[in-house]
Amino acid sequence: MTTTTDGPLSGIRVIDHGHVWAGPLLGMSFKDMGAEVIKIQSPTGGSGVSMAGKGMVGTATRDAVDISDPMAYHAFDRGKKSLSLDLQTKDGKEIYKKLIAVSDVVVENFSARVMPSLGLGFDVLTKVNPKIILASLSATGATDGPWRDLVTYGPSLAALYGIKSVLGYHDSDHPQEDQADLDPTAAGHAFFAILAALEYRDATGRGQHIDLAQGEACIQRIAEPLMDYFLNGRVAGPQGNRYPATAPHGYYKTSGLDEWVSISVRNQEEWEVFKDLAAQKSKNITNSKFETLQGRLDNQDELDETVESWTKNYTAMQLTKILQQSKIPAYPVMGALDLVNDENLNSLHRSSLTVTDNNFSLDSVYRGVIWKLEKGQGEISGPTPSTGADNDEILIDLLGYEEEKVIKFRSNGII
Amino acid sequence: MDINGPLKNLRVLEIGDFISVAYAGKLLADLGAEVIKIEKPITGDSLRSHGPFPKDIPHIEKSGLHLFLNTNKKSVTLDLATEDGQDLLISAVADVDLVISNLSLEDGANDPLSYESLSKKNDMLVMSSITIFGYDTPYRDWAGTALTATAASGASKKIGSPDKVPLWLPYCAADFQGGIHGAIAALLALRKKRQLNQGLHAWISVVEVMASYLGGSGVPGFVFQGILGSRDGTHRSGFYPWQVAPASDGFVEVITMVDEQWKRFINLMDNPDWADDPRLSDRWLSFEWHKELDAFWHPWMKGKTRSELFKLFSENRIPFQPVNTVDEIAKSEHLTLRGFWHEIEHPVVGSYKIPGAPYLFSKTPWAVYRPAPQLGEHNEEFFKTRLGLTASERSSLAKLGIT
Repeated sequence: MTTTTDGPLSGIRVIDHGHVWAGPLLGMSFKDMGAEVIKIQSPTGGSGVSMAGKGMVGTATRDAVDISDPMAYHAFDRGKKSLSLDLQTKDGKEIYKKLIAVSDVVVENFSARVMPSLGLGFDVLTKVNPKIILASLSATGATDGPWRDLVTYGPSLAALYGIKSVLGYHDSDHPQEDQADLDPTAAGHAFFAILAALEYRDATGRGQHIDLAQGEACIQRIAEPLMDYFLNGRVAGPQGNRYPATAPHGYYKTSGLDEWVSISVRNQEEWEVFKDLAAQKSKNITNSKFETLQGRLDNQDELDETVESWTKNYTAMQLTKILQQSKIPAYPVMGALDLVNDENLNSLHRSSLTVTDNNFSLDSVYRGVIWKLEKGQGEISGPTPSTGADNDEILIDLLGYEEEKVIKFRSNGII
Repeated sequence: MDINGPLKNLRVLEIGDFISVAYAGKLLADLGAEVIKIEKPITGDSLRSHGPFPKDIPHIEKSGLHLFLNTNKKSVTLDLATEDGQDLLISAVADVDLVISNLSLEDGANDPLSYESLSKKNDMLVMSSITIFGYDTPYRDWAGTALTATAASGASKKIGSPDKVPLWLPYCAADFQGGIHGAIAALLALRKKRQLNQGLHAWISVVEVMASYLGGSGVPGFVFQGILGSRDGTHRSGFYPWQVAPASDGFVEVITMVDEQWKRFINLMDNPDWADDPRLSDRWLSFEWHKELDAFWHPWMKGKTRSELFKLFSENRIPFQPVNTVDEIAKSEHLTLRGFWHEIEHPVVGSYKIPGAPYLFSKTPWAVYRPAPQLGEHNEEFFKTRLGLTASERSSLAKLGIT
C-alpha cells in the first residue's frame, strides 16, 4: 500500500551496473523517487565505481578508485543497496538470473560488448523475465558502425558529435572546454525512456531493450545549427554568447571584478523598455541603428559595447533587480560561492540541502531532488552502501538461498 | 502508420512558448502520445518565427526549430490571454491526462493557467510545469530564458578564457535540459496519480537542473574541496591533459583519466625523452606548467590531420576524438548506419532531414508519424469533435480572434 508521501517509483526494483557518472546518476534518480536500487559490484573491487573522489561529488579526482572509502562515491549511490557478485562465474550468473527474475529494470553503461560477452545480453535476460526492461547507455550505440567500440569520455564524445564545435568565442575557431555535461544529459534521456517503457510494460506485461547512444541523446541540443545545415547548407562555428534573432543577448561586465550579468532581450517591446533604462547612463543606446532587431544584429559588437557602458556602473545584482522589475530576463553569472548563498537555489533545496549522516564527518551539501511533486516528493533516503553490504539480505531474504550456501559463495569469492 | 509508441494511450495538452515545453512535448509525442499544442492565433509559437528558414525567408510553417521540435503534434490556435480562451482550455482539459506548460505562474494557484485552475473539471489531471527559477521560490515571477538559467546555475563561470567573458551553453541548451526533466516529472507524476487515484502538480526549475549537472566546478566542488576555479579556456585544470588541442585541419579533444591511456599516447609518439619530465610525474599537478608541456607534443599533433589522428587514437584505444563540425557529423558514416537522421516530407516545406531518435526501443520504437503541424491545422477536429462547438460558435470565436 503506497501513501501520499511514498515516491512514485515505490515497488520498482532496479539492478544498477552503473559506473563513473551516467549510470550511477540514473540509478540514483530511481532511488530518490522511491525505487529499490541494487548496485552490482565486483567482490574484488575496481568495478562499479562511481565517479566521485574523496568527499567530492560528480567529478573524477585522484582518489576516484579508492572504493574502501565510502565517501569516494557516496553522492551518486546514495540510498542504494550493494550486492557484490562475480559475474564471470557460473554461480554468479545463476544468482544474477534469479535476481533478474524478480526485478523490473536493469541499467548499465558499459561499452556495448560487455553484457553480451558475459552471456547476459538482453536475449538472455528476457528469457528469464519477459517483463524486464534493460537500458544500455553506451557512448555510440549497440548496433554496428565504425564508432561502436570507441573508448571515450563525455568531453571527447561532445567533440565527436559536433557539440563542441559551436562552443567558443565567435571571433575564433578554437572551441573552449565545456562543463562535460554529456553524462547527466544521457542519464536524463534514459530515465525518461525507461519511465515510458514502464508505462508500456504495465499495460502489456512486456519489457524491452533500450539502446541509448549517449552521443545521440546529447546531439539533440544542437538541432538548431543542424537544421540550418540541412535546410541551407550553412555550417555554424563557435557562437560566443550570441543567439540567432535575439539582441542584446549575452553576459555583460559589471562594476565588480570578474562579475557579469546575463541579459536577454526577447522582443521589440522589451527592447523599448530596456533602451529607456540603459539610456540613463549610455547615450549611444538610443542610436537609430539599434532601433530594429535587424539593426541590432547587424551592429552587435557596437551594441554589446554600448550595453556594457551602462552595466559597468552597477553590480550584477543591482542590474538584475533593475531589469527584473521591468520583466526583462537578467541574473548574475553565478560562481560556486555565489550558488551556496543563492536565495533561490537554497529555497528550492530546502528539504534536502543538509543531510546528517553518521558515515560522513562533513556537514554535507548534497544536490537535491530536481523533480518536485506536490505529493510524493522524492528524497535522499540514505548513505552509500559499502561493497556487498546487502549481500545477506538479497541472497537469503529476497532470493531464498540457505545461509550455508551464502557462506560458501563468500569463501569462493562469488560474492 | 499505426502508432506503436510506449505512450500511445497518453493524451497531452502543451501550453507555453519556445523550446523547453516544446522539447518535453516532442519527447512524449515521438513515443506515441497524442500531444495537442495550443498556440497563439495568427503568429503561433515563437518557434515559428525564430528560424532557421530555408534561404532565410521567414515563413510560419518553415522555421527549422519548429520543424524539429513539433514533430507528431497537433496544432490548435487559442488565445489564452482571454477569458473565453481560458474557459475553452479548461473544457479541453477535462478530456486529457496531462498538461505540460512553461508559462510563468505569477499569481500562483490563483493564476488562470495554474494547476488549481485547470484541474477544476478534471481532478485526475496531472500537470508538469517547466519553470526557470522554480515554483515555490521568492523568484517565481522573475523573467528568464535559457541564457538566464545558464548564468544562474553556475554552469558558465568556468567556461571560456580567464581574460574574457564567460560563455553560455549555446543554442539554448538549458531549455532542452528543462524539456527533458519536465517530461520526466510528468511521467513520475502520472505514476503517482495512479497510486493516489488523484491528480497532482509537478514542476522543475531549469536553474536547478543545470546546477545539478555541474561536477567539481559547481557547488559540490566548492563545498568539498574549496574549488572556486577560474576559467581555463581551451583547457580544464585537474588532471593533465584535458584540452581542445590543435591538429593540422582543426581540433581534437584530448583527455586521459587513466595512466595506461597516457602511456599508450606516449608510445604512439615513439616514447620521446620529454615524457620523463618530472613535471609529468604526477599529472594531477601538471596543469600548472601546461604551456611548457603542451609545447612538447602539440607540434606532433599539428603535423597530422584530425582523421589521421582519430585513426591512430582509435587503433590504440586512446580516448581522444576529433572536434567534428556540424556538416561532418551530419555526414558521419556511423550515424548514417544507425539510421539516426530522419527524412521528413512536409506539405509546405517539402523534404528535409532532422536529428532522429535519442534512444532505440526494441518493441515500441521512436517514430515520426507526422511532420510538425501547420498552424491551427487541428482546430476543427478540436473545437468541433472534442468540444462540441457548433459552426456558428466556431466562427464567432474566430472572428473575435480567440482561435
